[in-house]
Amino acid sequence: MIETSGMMAVLHAAILAAPSSAKEAAAFVAPETGAWWIALIPLMPIVGTILATLCAIRGIKTKLPAFLTVGCLATSFLLTVAMFLNLGDAPTITTAWEWFTLTWGEGEGQTFTANFGFYVDSLTALWMLFVTGLATLIALYASEYMSHDVGTGYCRFFAAFNLFVFSMACLVMGDNLLLLFLGWEGVGLCSYLLIGYFYRKPAAVAAAKKAFIVNRIGDLGLVMGILLTFVHFGTIEYAEIFAKAAPYIELLQAGRISEIPAIAQLIPVLLMIGAFGKSAQLPLYIWLPDAMEGPTPVSALIHAATMVTAGVYLIARTYPLFLISDIALPIVGWVGALTALLAATIGMAQFDIKRIMAYSTVSQLGYMFCGLAVLTSAGAAFHVLTHAFFKATLFLACGAVMHGFAGQLDLRKLSGVRKMKGWGIVSIAMLVGCLNLAGFPFTSGYFSKDMILAEAYATPGTALIGWILLLTAGLTAYYTFRVYFRVFEGPVEYHPGDDLHDHDHADEHGSGEEQHHDVGEHGDHHHAGFHPHAPGWAINAVLATLAVCSIAAAGLYFVNKKEHGWVGSMVHDSSANYVGTAAFLDHAAHAGGVTGDAAHEGATHAHGTFLGYDPHKVMYYVSAVVGAIGIGIAFFLHLLGRKHAETARADKVLPALGPIPKWARNKWYVDELYNFLIVRPLWVISHIFHLIDKLFVDGLVNLFGLLPRFGGSAIRPSQSGVLHGYAIGMAGGVAILMLVVLVMVLR
Amino acid sequence: MELLINPVVLYLACALGAVAVWIAAPRARISPQIIGFGVGALALGLVLAALGITTPSGIPNLYFYVFAIIALGASLRVITHPRPVYAALYFILTILASCGLYLILSATFMAFALVIIYAGAILITYLFVIMLATQAPTEDDVDALSAYDTTAREPAVAAFVGFLLVAVLGAMLFKGTASLQPLPLPTASADAPLAILPGRVADALRDADLIDDDEVVATDEDGSAMVDADLRQAIIETTEGDRRTVAWPDELSATNVEGVALSLLFRHPGTIEIAGVILLMAMLGATVLSRRQVEIDEDQKRQQAAALARGNTPAGGGS
Amino acid sequence: MNDLSSGMLTLAQSGFPEPMLQATLAHYLVVSLAMFAIGLIGFLTRRNLIVMFLCTELMFQAAGLALIAFGRYHMNYDGQTFVIFVLTIAAAEAALALALVVLLFRKKDSLDADAWSALKG
Repeated sequence: MIETSGMMAVLHAAILAAPSSAKEAAAFVAPETGAWWIALIPLMPIVGTILATLCAIRGIKTKLPAFLTVGCLATSFLLTVAMFLNLGDAPTITTAWEWFTLTWGEGEGQTFTANFGFYVDSLTALWMLFVTGLATLIALYASEYMSHDVGTGYCRFFAAFNLFVFSMACLVMGDNLLLLFLGWEGVGLCSYLLIGYFYRKPAAVAAAKKAFIVNRIGDLGLVMGILLTFVHFGTIEYAEIFAKAAPYIELLQAGRISEIPAIAQLIPVLLMIGAFGKSAQLPLYIWLPDAMEGPTPVSALIHAATMVTAGVYLIARTYPLFLISDIALPIVGWVGALTALLAATIGMAQFDIKRIMAYSTVSQLGYMFCGLAVLTSAGAAFHVLTHAFFKATLFLACGAVMHGFAGQLDLRKLSGVRKMKGWGIVSIAMLVGCLNLAGFPFTSGYFSKDMILAEAYATPGTALIGWILLLTAGLTAYYTFRVYFRVFEGPVEYHPGDDLHDHDHADEHGSGEEQHHDVGEHGDHHHAGFHPHAPGWAINAVLATLAVCSIAAAGLYFVNKKEHGWVGSMVHDSSANYVGTAAFLDHAAHAGGVTGDAAHEGATHAHGTFLGYDPHKVMYYVSAVVGAIGIGIAFFLHLLGRKHAETARADKVLPALGPIPKWARNKWYVDELYNFLIVRPLWVISHIFHLIDKLFVDGLVNLFGLLPRFGGSAIRPSQSGVLHGYAIGMAGGVAILMLVVLVMVLR
Repeated sequence: MELLINPVVLYLACALGAVAVWIAAPRARISPQIIGFGVGALALGLVLAALGITTPSGIPNLYFYVFAIIALGASLRVITHPRPVYAALYFILTILASCGLYLILSATFMAFALVIIYAGAILITYLFVIMLATQAPTEDDVDALSAYDTTAREPAVAAFVGFLLVAVLGAMLFKGTASLQPLPLPTASADAPLAILPGRVADALRDADLIDDDEVVATDEDGSAMVDADLRQAIIETTEGDRRTVAWPDELSATNVEGVALSLLFRHPGTIEIAGVILLMAMLGATVLSRRQVEIDEDQKRQQAAALARGNTPAGGGS
Repeated sequence: MNDLSSGMLTLAQSGFPEPMLQATLAHYLVVSLAMFAIGLIGFLTRRNLIVMFLCTELMFQAAGLALIAFGRYHMNYDGQTFVIFVLTIAAAEAALALALVVLLFRKKDSLDADAWSALKG
């Protein structure tokens, strides 16, 4: 493979500082105390939130909050780089603040400790690098993208943005499951705040609620998993969990997996439910497409690159727990594969380009989960990294299109954007992103997807998953280039979107957009005087940076190649793979021999094949061919001979497929199914409870209010002012009193 | 300790009495007051008969029954008669019957005091006020009675409450009375008041020709008369200084008036003073209350105030 | 025990100074109680202010009778002395009460006790 191009060498040298100490069989390494400034990494975003809130209070109407945010996040990124460069052999824990320690006994499992501590190992560094980096870039992008909304809304956006980064940092860097959960909920909250940013749009509000609620369903599993972890292991701090799980790991390596207690095997099943909710896998993926109602920077950062990878991170972080369970990883694998396929089929039939990207996110997340399931956590992590870059690029490019065409996202209404003036960088970025997504050879997406595919075939028992993923790869290539060929290629034609009436474009026209005279002006809803608004310097800069990064990420594959790339080396030194290290030793020694689950099989070096060939070698070619087929079909159906934006050859082919395209376009009616199965009954139940509340609870309270009234109105007539009434009262009282005395005397 | 009366009979009589009063209460239409009286008499008879049967030795004088029936009948009529004047007159009858009862109980002074004070003063005052406070009858119906006179207010409840009280009181009283020990006989004889009334004793002796006109009752060193009420004798001193003991005649005995007077003056002197003060207060109060407010206009008020300040007698309208 | 014939002659004495039996006392108390009850009921029943006060006088009567009876039972003069004071108080109270009734009548021109029911509360 390509080893020493100039750029690669520079990169290699720069990353030499990265640890490559996975040569020894990894026993669990006890963590050391970390540097104090690690705690600043999550702290800077909080500072950003406070600053943005202050801007809102002061009524700032410029782009100041955005630049403050970029500053804070850039600082955080620089600190993260410093953290990366300071990585040592052992993970480090920096305790920023003692949150709480509850003790109710002296024995094991009678102390509950959770601190604001930050567990730093190579997995953390890997994740934080791209989280903070992308956050900084996307904040810069958003400074221009959201600029039409300067004022309180702008500040609100950046406050939530910063809060999101803080929560993500807590999630990734937390040293115990509770802090992870705090971050988990925090990102869910910020996702809600940001999806529902346009809170006057009912669709946005509904989408935000849907996202939050579906996440909550997953969180139930996560909470139960955390509790069960505490019950079984007596602690929720990673360091101690790994230490306590070490005996189980030994059982695993000795092949006696059945002796591991059932509870310990159940824990990862519960944790994965949370991961499914957060990372939009079957059956909890329904929120992610609707989440596209939020502004595009939000979609790019949260729903492409960072939040949705939290589920992957969770599994990677608690990988030892997953490895010791018989049932956990197969479930993860199958769910991932089916999700990938399902989302790809839906994406093929959508017309909203952001929505197509959303479904592709769901699909690629399925890939990542499959990667974890087929025991290539390195592949999964690498795919996370590359996906973050290229998906962010794709989303931001779509956002630029949306921003420039007044909210138009329908690929039947846009065409030939590449040929318009000022859209060059956007088009190139889009092309780069699409190539990565489709797995075009020598792109970073190609290498990362390839690692997963190869391992899927290599690991025994997961060959079917491999075939599903391969099919999905073809579909992915198809629908990705469907978007590209429809929107960016072909005859130039555009129709403005619905935002035309909302914004005032008069003051935002950039450099000469006079081409509306020679553009084919179709239709009657083409506003006289509308010309597309090419993106400004911030958007272009960010898109360019991200495109370059996605290309450069391919180089990471070749650093530390023996350990599956730079990412692989980072992962191997972390909890995500410390079991398999022995296996990778063998792998490195006999190249192409041993597979990751040698631990399961004892001494046998069995491995799967791809139609008789060694998957690691042939997968490069196979996936390239599949991708090319997909791109070719897309070209044929969507670009060749296309004269208008509205239709393409594909529309002639559709009737032959019968009702299937319609079902796919309607998302296989999953939402309707959920509505019928879950939402309706809940509505009924909630109405019942509402009635109960009104009648019983309110009735009870009202009764308490009525009782004095009744008592009063019963007693009030006695105050009638009539002398005789009082007299009778007195006489009767005396009589009764004497009766009482008499009875007591007689007794 | 045996009960003086069977409690059941007592309660039954109370119930009957309540019914009687309720029936007899005045109503807008014709009310069967005769029936009420009949039932009341029945109730009373029941109680008294029960008492009498239980302890035949304790049956009082015949005249007790007479006066009792008159008293209760008249008092029932007091409360049931629609016309206030008649009610007052029946009250006077009640007083007279009570007077009779007092006489049987040998409270002769109180009997007459009752008639004089109550019937003679208080009731007359009531009658005057009734006459003052009666609305002028209209020309159509000279004998019209107001509604508030003719209609009783909630007679059932009132009767129930009243006789509940009576039943309870009666039960307690009879229970208490049965265990009531009579005070020991007074060490002093009934004629003890005469011990400090030497003049009376001397007059009685003279009337009986037991002593001469110029003999007086002797006094001892303390100055007290030497009259012995227990032995019913007095030591008489002749003009020469001789003393001899003379027995009282049989018919000499202290009258009730003397007894009451001495009890009042010797044993409750302060109470007399207080009673006097109370009467004075009542007189003042009545006088103040019944002044008629005269409306004086502002000028006259100022004149009066100025006149008072100068020390002159106020001229013009006054109260 | 009182002989009926001698009772007629010694009307005013009623066997004095012989002690009275409890049973005899009970008879007088019955009368006193009945009169008190009737007075009470009259007070509660009648609406004419003057007749109401008349009924209070009736209650005084009953109390006086009971006092005299007890005085006779215990054979001392305390009962009668106390009745003198009861009479005094009754007179004073009657005077003031009637003065007030006159005032009230002047205000409302009616002797109805219910006319003053606006004084409730």
